[in-house]
Amino acid sequence: MDLIIGGAYQGKRAYAKEKYALTDAQIASCTERGDLPLGARCIDHLELYTLRCVKDGVNATEVFRAHAKEWENSVLICEDIFCGVVPMGAEMRAWREVTGELCAYLSREAVHVTRMFCGLAQVLK
Amino acid sequence: MNILISGGCKNGKTAFAEDIAVRLSAAGDRYYVATMVPFDGEDRARIARHIAERADKGFQTIEQGRDIAGCLTRANRGGTFLIDSTTALLVNEMFPFAGKSVDDGAANRCIAGLCEIAKTAKNAVFVTDYLYADAARYDASTENFRAALAAVDRALAAVCDTVVELCVTNVICHKGGLDF
Repeated sequence: MDLIIGGAYQGKRAYAKEKYALTDAQIASCTERGDLPLGARCIDHLELYTLRCVKDGVNATEVFRAHAKEWENSVLICEDIFCGVVPMGAEMRAWREVTGELCAYLSREAVHVTRMFCGLAQVLK
Repeated sequence: MNILISGGCKNGKTAFAEDIAVRLSAAGDRYYVATMVPFDGEDRARIARHIAERADKGFQTIEQGRDIAGCLTRANRGGTFLIDSTTALLVNEMFPFAGKSVDDGAANRCIAGLCEIAKTAKNAVFVTDYLYADAARYDASTENFRAALAAVDRALAAVCDTVVELCVTNVICHKGGLDF
Protein backbone atom coordinates (compact mmCIF):
# COMPACT_ATOMS: atom_id res chain seq x y z
CA MET A 1 0.00 0.00 0.00
CA ASP A 2 1.13 3.52 -0.80
CA LEU A 3 -0.28 6.50 1.05
CA ILE A 4 -0.64 9.96 -0.49
CA ILE A 5 -1.32 12.83 1.88
CA GLY A 6 -1.64 16.56 1.24
CA GLY A 7 -3.79 19.62 1.68
CA ALA A 8 -6.85 20.37 -0.40
CA TYR A 9 -6.24 20.99 -4.13
CA GLN A 10 -2.56 20.05 -4.00
CA GLY A 11 -2.75 17.56 -6.88
CA LYS A 12 -2.98 14.27 -4.94
CA ARG A 13 -5.37 12.51 -7.31
CA ALA A 14 -3.59 13.78 -10.45
CA TYR A 15 -0.28 12.51 -9.03
CA ALA A 16 -1.77 9.09 -8.26
CA LYS A 17 -3.17 8.81 -11.77
CA GLU A 18 0.16 9.61 -13.34
CA LYS A 19 2.41 7.71 -10.94
CA TYR A 20 0.37 4.48 -10.95
CA ALA A 21 -1.11 4.81 -14.46
CA LEU A 22 -4.64 4.75 -13.07
CA THR A 23 -7.84 5.41 -14.93
CA ASP A 24 -10.68 7.32 -13.26
CA ALA A 25 -12.59 4.05 -13.07
CA GLN A 26 -9.85 2.56 -10.86
CA ILE A 27 -10.16 5.37 -8.31
CA ALA A 28 -13.02 4.94 -5.84
CA SER A 29 -13.92 8.02 -3.82
CA CYS A 30 -15.22 7.73 -0.28
CA THR A 31 -18.26 9.78 0.64
CA GLU A 32 -19.78 10.94 3.91
CA ARG A 33 -22.49 8.31 3.56
CA GLY A 34 -21.09 5.35 1.66
CA ASP A 35 -19.13 2.28 2.68
CA LEU A 36 -15.38 2.03 2.35
CA PRO A 37 -14.75 0.97 -1.28
CA LEU A 38 -12.50 -1.95 -0.33
CA GLY A 39 -10.72 -3.75 -3.12
CA ALA A 40 -10.36 -0.69 -5.32
CA ARG A 41 -6.92 -0.11 -6.84
CA CYS A 42 -7.02 3.42 -5.43
CA ILE A 43 -9.23 4.84 -2.67
CA ASP A 44 -9.54 8.64 -2.55
CA HIS A 45 -10.91 10.95 0.15
CA LEU A 46 -10.34 8.75 3.18
CA GLU A 47 -11.17 11.88 5.20
CA LEU A 48 -14.78 11.61 4.04
CA TYR A 49 -14.97 8.00 5.20
CA THR A 50 -13.58 8.99 8.61
CA LEU A 51 -16.20 11.75 8.83
CA ARG A 52 -18.86 9.15 8.25
CA CYS A 53 -17.30 6.94 10.92
CA VAL A 54 -17.37 9.80 13.43
CA LYS A 55 -21.06 10.38 12.72
CA ASP A 56 -21.85 6.66 13.03
CA GLY A 57 -19.64 5.97 16.05
CA VAL A 58 -17.45 3.52 14.10
CA ASN A 59 -13.69 3.14 14.75
CA ALA A 60 -12.21 3.81 11.30
CA THR A 61 -8.75 2.44 12.11
CA GLU A 62 -10.29 -0.84 13.35
CA VAL A 63 -12.21 -1.16 10.09
CA PHE A 64 -8.97 -0.78 8.14
CA ARG A 65 -7.15 -3.22 10.44
CA ALA A 66 -9.88 -5.82 10.01
CA HIS A 67 -9.75 -5.59 6.21
CA ALA A 68 -5.99 -5.21 5.74
CA LYS A 69 -5.83 -7.90 3.03
CA GLU A 70 -8.27 -5.92 0.90
CA TRP A 71 -6.19 -2.71 0.66
CA GLU A 72 -2.64 -4.02 1.09
CA ASN A 73 -1.94 -3.43 -2.60
CA SER A 74 -3.95 -0.23 -2.96
CA VAL A 75 -3.05 3.44 -3.25
CA LEU A 76 -4.77 5.37 -0.49
CA ILE A 77 -5.32 9.14 -0.61
CA CYS A 78 -6.22 11.31 2.36
CA GLU A 79 -6.49 15.07 2.75
CA ASP A 80 -4.31 16.76 5.35
CA ILE A 81 -6.83 18.39 7.70
CA PHE A 82 -4.44 18.73 10.62
CA CYS A 83 -2.90 22.19 10.49
CA GLY A 84 -5.74 24.56 11.35
CA VAL A 85 -7.06 25.95 14.59
CA VAL A 86 -8.77 23.38 16.82
CA PRO A 87 -12.34 23.34 15.50
CA MET A 88 -15.14 24.66 17.72
CA GLY A 89 -17.47 21.72 17.06
CA ALA A 90 -16.94 18.44 18.94
CA GLU A 91 -17.69 16.40 15.80
CA MET A 92 -15.03 18.25 13.80
CA ARG A 93 -12.51 17.78 16.61
CA ALA A 94 -13.27 14.06 16.71
CA TRP A 95 -12.93 13.98 12.91
CA ARG A 96 -9.38 15.34 13.10
CA GLU A 97 -8.48 12.88 15.87
CA VAL A 98 -9.85 9.87 14.06
CA THR A 99 -8.37 10.87 10.70
CA GLY A 100 -5.00 11.52 12.32
CA GLU A 101 -5.03 8.15 14.07
CA LEU A 102 -5.92 6.39 10.81
CA CYS A 103 -3.21 8.21 8.84
CA ALA A 104 -0.60 7.38 11.49
CA TYR A 105 -1.56 3.69 11.26
CA LEU A 106 -1.59 3.71 7.44
CA SER A 107 1.71 5.57 7.37
CA ARG A 108 3.32 2.79 9.42
CA GLU A 109 1.86 0.12 7.16
CA ALA A 110 2.65 1.91 3.89
CA VAL A 111 5.55 1.04 1.60
CA HIS A 112 5.69 4.64 0.37
CA VAL A 113 4.25 7.81 1.86
CA THR A 114 4.12 10.87 -0.38
CA ARG A 115 3.04 14.37 0.52
CA MET A 116 1.75 16.64 -2.25
CA PHE A 117 2.52 20.35 -2.17
CA CYS A 118 1.55 22.73 -5.01
CA GLY A 119 1.41 19.75 -7.37
CA LEU A 120 4.92 18.59 -6.34
CA ALA A 121 5.56 15.25 -4.68
CA GLN A 122 7.62 15.06 -1.49
CA VAL A 123 8.61 11.52 -0.53
CA LEU A 124 8.30 11.08 3.22
CA LYS A 125 8.83 7.32 3.34
CA MET B 1 15.33 32.39 -12.43
CA ASN B 2 11.86 32.01 -10.95
CA ILE B 3 11.09 31.07 -7.36
CA LEU B 4 7.80 30.32 -5.64
CA ILE B 5 7.65 30.75 -1.86
CA SER B 6 4.72 29.32 0.07
CA GLY B 7 3.86 28.45 3.65
CA GLY B 8 1.58 29.52 6.45
CA CYS B 9 1.22 33.12 7.54
CA LYS B 10 3.82 34.69 9.87
CA ASN B 11 6.51 32.22 8.80
CA GLY B 12 8.86 34.83 7.34
CA LYS B 13 7.96 34.47 3.66
CA THR B 14 8.21 38.17 2.76
CA ALA B 15 11.55 38.75 4.51
CA PHE B 16 12.97 35.59 2.92
CA ALA B 17 11.63 36.63 -0.50
CA GLU B 18 13.24 40.05 -0.16
CA ASP B 19 16.61 38.52 0.68
CA ILE B 20 16.35 36.15 -2.29
CA ALA B 21 15.44 39.05 -4.59
CA VAL B 22 18.43 41.05 -3.31
CA ARG B 23 20.75 38.10 -4.00
CA LEU B 24 19.30 37.57 -7.48
CA SER B 25 19.49 41.19 -8.57
CA ALA B 26 22.98 42.08 -7.31
CA ALA B 27 23.43 45.38 -9.10
CA GLY B 28 20.31 45.22 -11.28
CA ASP B 29 16.89 46.77 -10.91
CA ARG B 30 14.89 45.38 -8.02
CA TYR B 31 11.11 45.76 -7.88
CA TYR B 32 8.73 45.06 -5.04
CA VAL B 33 5.37 44.51 -6.74
CA ALA B 34 2.77 45.17 -4.04
CA THR B 35 -0.59 43.59 -4.77
CA MET B 36 -2.53 44.46 -1.65
CA VAL B 37 -5.12 47.22 -2.11
CA PRO B 38 -5.61 48.66 1.38
CA PHE B 39 -9.13 48.36 2.66
CA ASP B 40 -8.88 49.79 6.16
CA GLY B 41 -6.50 51.14 8.79
CA GLU B 42 -5.21 47.66 9.64
CA ASP B 43 -4.15 47.14 6.01
CA ARG B 44 -2.51 50.55 5.85
CA ALA B 45 -0.55 49.87 9.05
CA ARG B 46 0.61 46.51 7.64
CA ILE B 47 1.74 48.16 4.40
CA ALA B 48 3.59 50.89 6.33
CA ARG B 49 5.38 48.19 8.36
CA HIS B 50 6.40 46.32 5.18
CA ILE B 51 7.69 49.54 3.56
CA ALA B 52 9.81 50.29 6.65
CA GLU B 53 11.16 46.72 6.75
CA ARG B 54 12.40 46.85 3.17
CA ALA B 55 13.51 50.51 3.24
CA ASP B 56 17.24 49.74 3.04
CA LYS B 57 17.00 46.81 0.61
CA GLY B 58 16.95 48.93 -2.54
CA PHE B 59 13.52 48.06 -3.93
CA GLN B 60 11.45 50.24 -6.18
CA THR B 61 7.83 49.70 -5.22
CA ILE B 62 5.23 49.13 -7.94
CA GLU B 63 1.62 48.97 -6.79
CA GLN B 64 -0.24 46.52 -8.99
CA GLY B 65 -3.40 45.18 -7.39
CA ARG B 66 -4.91 43.81 -10.61
CA ASP B 67 -3.73 42.96 -14.17
CA ILE B 68 -0.44 41.79 -12.67
CA ALA B 69 1.57 41.65 -15.92
CA GLY B 70 0.99 45.42 -16.14
CA CYS B 71 3.95 45.86 -13.78
CA LEU B 72 6.25 44.80 -16.64
CA THR B 73 5.32 47.89 -18.67
CA ARG B 74 6.40 50.15 -15.79
CA ALA B 75 9.73 48.45 -15.21
CA ASN B 76 12.83 47.01 -16.84
CA ARG B 77 12.23 43.36 -17.70
CA GLY B 78 15.91 42.71 -17.12
CA GLY B 79 15.31 43.34 -13.43
CA THR B 80 14.14 41.20 -10.53
CA PHE B 81 10.47 41.24 -9.58
CA LEU B 82 9.18 40.26 -6.16
CA ILE B 83 5.42 39.66 -6.38
CA ASP B 84 3.88 39.84 -2.89
CA SER B 85 1.42 38.20 -2.93
CA THR B 86 -0.57 36.01 -5.30
CA THR B 87 -3.18 35.71 -2.54
CA ALA B 88 -3.96 39.43 -2.42
CA LEU B 89 -3.85 39.60 -6.22
CA LEU B 90 -6.43 36.84 -6.53
CA VAL B 91 -8.66 38.50 -3.92
CA ASN B 92 -8.63 41.70 -5.98
CA GLU B 93 -9.31 39.87 -9.25
CA MET B 94 -11.93 37.50 -7.85
CA PHE B 95 -13.92 39.89 -5.67
CA PRO B 96 -13.59 43.13 -7.63
CA PHE B 97 -16.55 45.02 -6.24
CA ALA B 98 -18.25 44.67 -2.88
CA GLY B 99 -21.66 43.11 -3.35
CA LYS B 100 -21.01 42.04 -6.95
CA SER B 101 -20.81 38.39 -7.90
CA VAL B 102 -17.53 36.53 -7.86
CA ASP B 103 -15.46 36.68 -11.03
CA ASP B 104 -14.88 33.06 -12.08
CA GLY B 105 -12.24 33.95 -14.68
CA ALA B 106 -9.98 35.43 -12.03
CA ALA B 107 -7.71 32.41 -11.48
CA ASN B 108 -6.97 32.01 -15.19
CA ARG B 109 -6.23 35.73 -15.56
CA CYS B 110 -3.85 35.57 -12.60
CA ILE B 111 -2.14 32.46 -13.98
CA ALA B 112 -1.69 34.09 -17.41
CA GLY B 113 -0.29 37.31 -15.95
CA LEU B 114 2.01 35.66 -13.42
CA CYS B 115 3.33 33.18 -15.99
CA GLU B 116 4.03 36.08 -18.37
CA ILE B 117 6.19 37.64 -15.66
CA ALA B 118 7.92 34.30 -15.05
CA LYS B 119 8.65 33.88 -18.75
CA THR B 120 9.73 37.41 -19.66
CA ALA B 121 11.31 38.96 -16.57
CA LYS B 122 14.93 38.09 -15.83
CA ASN B 123 14.11 36.99 -12.28
CA ALA B 124 10.84 36.67 -10.41
CA VAL B 125 10.07 35.72 -6.83
CA PHE B 126 6.44 34.90 -6.06
CA VAL B 127 4.97 34.79 -2.56
CA THR B 128 1.80 32.81 -1.91
CA ASP B 129 -0.05 31.43 1.11
CA TYR B 130 -0.70 27.84 2.09
CA LEU B 131 -4.37 27.60 3.14
CA TYR B 132 -5.14 23.98 2.50
CA ALA B 133 -4.54 21.81 5.51
CA ASP B 134 -7.22 22.43 8.09
CA ALA B 135 -10.46 20.78 9.15
CA ALA B 136 -12.69 23.83 8.71
CA ARG B 137 -15.66 23.64 6.38
CA TYR B 138 -15.95 26.83 4.36
CA ASP B 139 -18.83 28.48 2.56
CA ALA B 140 -18.92 28.03 -1.23
CA SER B 141 -17.36 31.41 -1.97
CA THR B 142 -14.36 30.79 0.33
CA GLU B 143 -13.99 27.23 -0.99
CA ASN B 144 -13.94 28.57 -4.56
CA PHE B 145 -11.25 31.00 -3.53
CA ARG B 146 -9.12 28.22 -1.97
CA ALA B 147 -9.47 26.09 -5.10
CA ALA B 148 -8.58 29.04 -7.33
CA LEU B 149 -5.52 30.02 -5.30
CA ALA B 150 -4.33 26.41 -5.30
CA ALA B 151 -4.68 26.37 -9.10
CA VAL B 152 -2.51 29.50 -9.28
CA ASP B 153 0.04 27.87 -6.95
CA ARG B 154 0.22 24.66 -8.99
CA ALA B 155 0.63 26.60 -12.25
CA LEU B 156 3.44 28.69 -10.75
CA ALA B 157 5.10 25.66 -9.16
CA ALA B 158 5.18 24.05 -12.61
CA VAL B 159 6.96 27.00 -14.28
CA CYS B 160 9.25 28.00 -11.42
CA ASP B 161 12.82 26.68 -11.16
CA THR B 162 12.65 26.55 -7.37
CA VAL B 163 9.68 25.98 -5.03
CA VAL B 164 10.13 26.33 -1.28
CA GLU B 165 7.90 26.20 1.76
CA LEU B 166 8.76 28.22 4.84
CA CYS B 167 8.04 26.79 8.26
CA VAL B 168 8.77 29.20 11.12
CA THR B 169 11.50 30.76 8.94
CA ASN B 170 13.02 27.34 8.05
CA VAL B 171 13.19 26.37 4.39
CA ILE B 172 11.73 23.15 2.97
CA CYS B 173 12.76 22.81 -0.66
CA HIS B 174 10.20 21.06 -2.89
CA LYS B 175 11.81 21.75 -6.28
CA GLY B 176 15.17 23.02 -7.51
CA GLY B 177 17.55 24.64 -5.07
CA LEU B 178 18.85 27.90 -3.68
CA ASP B 179 22.44 27.72 -4.92
CA PHE B 180 22.64 30.68 -7.28
